[in-house]
Amino acid sequence: MPLPPATGTGRYYAIAAKSIRLIRHGCTNRPFFHISVTHRRRLNSQPVIEQLGSYDPMPNMNNEKLVALNLDRIKHWLGKGAHVSPPVAELLGLSGFFPIHPRSYMTAWRNRRTERENQAKEKAEGSS
Amino acid sequence: MSLIKLCQNSTKTILFKCTESQGLYISARKLSIVPSIYDGENPAPKFFSSGVQIILKRLTRPNFEKVFRKRTNSNISVLRTPVYKFLTDEELKTEQSNAYKSAERLLQMPPVVKVQEPVDDVLSKDPALVGYDSSTYLFTDITHGVANEHRLIIQREPDGTLRSCDHDVRKKLNQIYFPMQGRKLRDPLVFSDPEKLNSLLERQKYEYILDRACVQYEPDDPQYQKLTSITYQHVDMNNQYDLIRSTRHFGPLAFYLTWHNSIDNLMLELVQTGIIREAVLLMSLRQAIKEDLVNGEESTALVSEILPTRIQLSKPEFVSEEDIQLDTKCMECLDKYINNNSAMKSQQGLALQGFREYYQQLIEISRGLQKAHGNA
Amino acid sequence: MATKLLTIRNLLNKPLSLLMNSPHYIKPTYNLQTFSTTPIASVNFFNKLPAEKLWKSVTSVSNAGAKKGRGKGAGRIRIRDLNRGQVIGVGKINMLWPGLSAPVIRGRELLKQQRLPDDPERMEKLIKLRDSMTRFRRLKLSPIERGWSGSRMPGRSIGPPDPVGDEEFTGFDTKVLQLRSLLIMKGNLGRTRNFQAMVVTGNGHGLAGFGFGKAKEAPSALRKAKNRAGKKLMNFETYNGHTVFHDFFTAFGKTKIYVQKKNEGYGLVCHRAIREICQAIGIKDLRAKVEGSNNLQHIVKAFFIGLLQQRTHQQLAEEKKLHLVEFRQENSYYPTVVASPSYVRTKDEIPKDETLDFINYVMNDRVILKRKKFPRFYETMPHYEIYLKKYEKYRNHERIRLNLKTEYGEVKSFLTDKYPEEKKDEEA
Repeated sequence: MPLPPATGTGRYYAIAAKSIRLIRHGCTNRPFFHISVTHRRRLNSQPVIEQLGSYDPMPNMNNEKLVALNLDRIKHWLGKGAHVSPPVAELLGLSGFFPIHPRSYMTAWRNRRTERENQAKEKAEGSS
Repeated sequence: MSLIKLCQNSTKTILFKCTESQGLYISARKLSIVPSIYDGENPAPKFFSSGVQIILKRLTRPNFEKVFRKRTNSNISVLRTPVYKFLTDEELKTEQSNAYKSAERLLQMPPVVKVQEPVDDVLSKDPALVGYDSSTYLFTDITHGVANEHRLIIQREPDGTLRSCDHDVRKKLNQIYFPMQGRKLRDPLVFSDPEKLNSLLERQKYEYILDRACVQYEPDDPQYQKLTSITYQHVDMNNQYDLIRSTRHFGPLAFYLTWHNSIDNLMLELVQTGIIREAVLLMSLRQAIKEDLVNGEESTALVSEILPTRIQLSKPEFVSEEDIQLDTKCMECLDKYINNNSAMKSQQGLALQGFREYYQQLIEISRGLQKAHGNA
Repeated sequence: MATKLLTIRNLLNKPLSLLMNSPHYIKPTYNLQTFSTTPIASVNFFNKLPAEKLWKSVTSVSNAGAKKGRGKGAGRIRIRDLNRGQVIGVGKINMLWPGLSAPVIRGRELLKQQRLPDDPERMEKLIKLRDSMTRFRRLKLSPIERGWSGSRMPGRSIGPPDPVGDEEFTGFDTKVLQLRSLLIMKGNLGRTRNFQAMVVTGNGHGLAGFGFGKAKEAPSALRKAKNRAGKKLMNFETYNGHTVFHDFFTAFGKTKIYVQKKNEGYGLVCHRAIREICQAIGIKDLRAKVEGSNNLQHIVKAFFIGLLQQRTHQQLAEEKKLHLVEFRQENSYYPTVVASPSYVRTKDEIPKDETLDFINYVMNDRVILKRKKFPRFYETMPHYEIYLKKYEKYRNHERIRLNLKTEYGEVKSFLTDKYPEEKKDEEA
């Protein structure tokens, strides 16, 4: 049973709105995402128009997260007016292809704040 | 740069300088080999210059029986049935010329280039991203039709820096997204474990090591250059040139030895086996690379005369008048080289003297034969 | 039975009053249990008829029964020799009879008649021996000695032919190809049975021959066939000592054989008789397809004829007046000239309709029928697609497990060290 090709098997309608989004593959407790372009009103379980990359959210043994982007095809779909979902926009922002997504900054400073609070709490506990 | 350190060391092993934290060392029964890589002047322009390439190909001495020897690497459990064809003379010639072309492909030399330099270019720094994630993001541009070495591979570090990846990461990601058959993500044990490499060297599996290294590494990888350097030196020390003759690794070996000024062993072997034309070619190779010979021009002039002649696979057994003329010139040229530039004067001189006597007999025999056949 | 009769006679001879009046002499209860008042006939068919007739009465089957197949096969009652294992001079009581069961003089001593200690297992052994004769057991052969099927002769080895004069057949081995019984009608004898054998003998280095033998008995038919095969040896050259020179087609009667030359390591993929012949000759790699009649004798004859009609590469090159060139995959298809004729034709000299393809030429333009491969019956069923989809995600697991084992020595990853608490849970 061969896997569907990266060129996609979904039906394509020229006028319908497209969206570039993450589509979850992988299995239980092991997420893995394809970055694919599909119709905006189509479910993630349905065949996509084209796969544009992949994203592995679980860090590997060197503490790295791997992202593959077919920038050529992404440019093509962006040129056709495809909508980009926020998680994909974040990844593209981190890669330097897009400006950094505001949500990335928000996550960053929220994480920093929790870290600070935790430290303060620890200090307080340590002193008391 | 001293090439072979034949140091009789009391401690059997010597750790040689290694940029990585892992210490790769070679112990070969009190003989320790120090690998030397092409880290100074770039050897590529000289290696790829047409004159040097021609000489290197000729020095490889391609023997078709060895080039097309039985190889069972096609992953089939049973050998295929041979194919037979009835051919006319012309068809046979075209088939043979096709075979020569494929031989050229099989004998394509791995390039000799300068060792790669570390990549260090920061694309952007964004301290506002500190704390976004604790792991590094590696982005690979998987656009079709881009060569591995030009592929865009960048990383976003936890401190918000966006930079190009270094060679080892690039190699890994290229292998993940565009796998090359036979290449492993991790270094195979043969190369990471010095004991295993050593045992291979002692069993003289040079071709295997060199082929495997070609698959696993890029030619500008320091690890590749170290491995090949160790193997070449091992071949040179044990005089086992015949094992990698008519393989694609002989050219880089000859180039390596010439580049590091240690062709004396090879020269001695060539003179002893009586293939002095190749000895002259080796001289001219040295002249082309190092330009330190007294009679450099003379040897370079001889090359154009030697190249059109047939490849000698063994000592000559019959010589014609033209051969005698050429060989005499070669011997004179070699004599000058041995007296002026050789580091093994006495041995090479003796070997040349031996060849001269043999050649004198050969001339008499061939002339006698020609007379007997009535061609003189 | 005899002893019982004796006791009863003894009893009858004595007056009953004596019996009653002498309780001190014989116990009154003695033998009363066995006492019977029925008349006793001392003669019955057991001691009147000979054993032969008795056995016949047990084993015989009526005419109608025989027609139905009774008295045959595993359940058949067989005649047993009840005297087997009985030796004169050895009986229930273990006595030493000099001159009968022992020598008269042992050393310098003159042996005396004496009673030896009883052997309690003697009777058991005798009964076991008698029981062992009840069932017919087939001859069992080790898998190495066995031929094509069970303990029957075809496919079995019967050793080299008998020496002719001083000439011995060293290194030869003979294999039985066929052993069958023939029935022939004779004017005065009626239907008689003959055995016919076909064997092949060879030394595994090119010399081989086959022969037929007919005789009233199977072993003599085999011997005759073997010795005839030894007298009709033929020499076959092999290509590099492992296969035939070229593909060929051969036929005998309605039997057609297509033989293909194969590379080292292919083995003998052919009819079992052809395999035995190849082993006798020393051919190791070959494929043969039999079409048409499966008559064994025809197959053997056709194959031998085909082998004899082979041409060497030099002969082929001379016939065609062209170079014969070999291309081997393991040598990256480097053209090796295996035979060159004395004169080579040019392209203009070759007629347009000439067969130039090597295989077509040596096969006499015969083509092996290649049957169309149909998909397996389950591949078109709906459940097979479900199965494929279901096991899609396990497709790489085996390889990954193997890789992990080579890397870490067990099935674990870097995450196992990262989360040690998970591992403990698993073990518990």
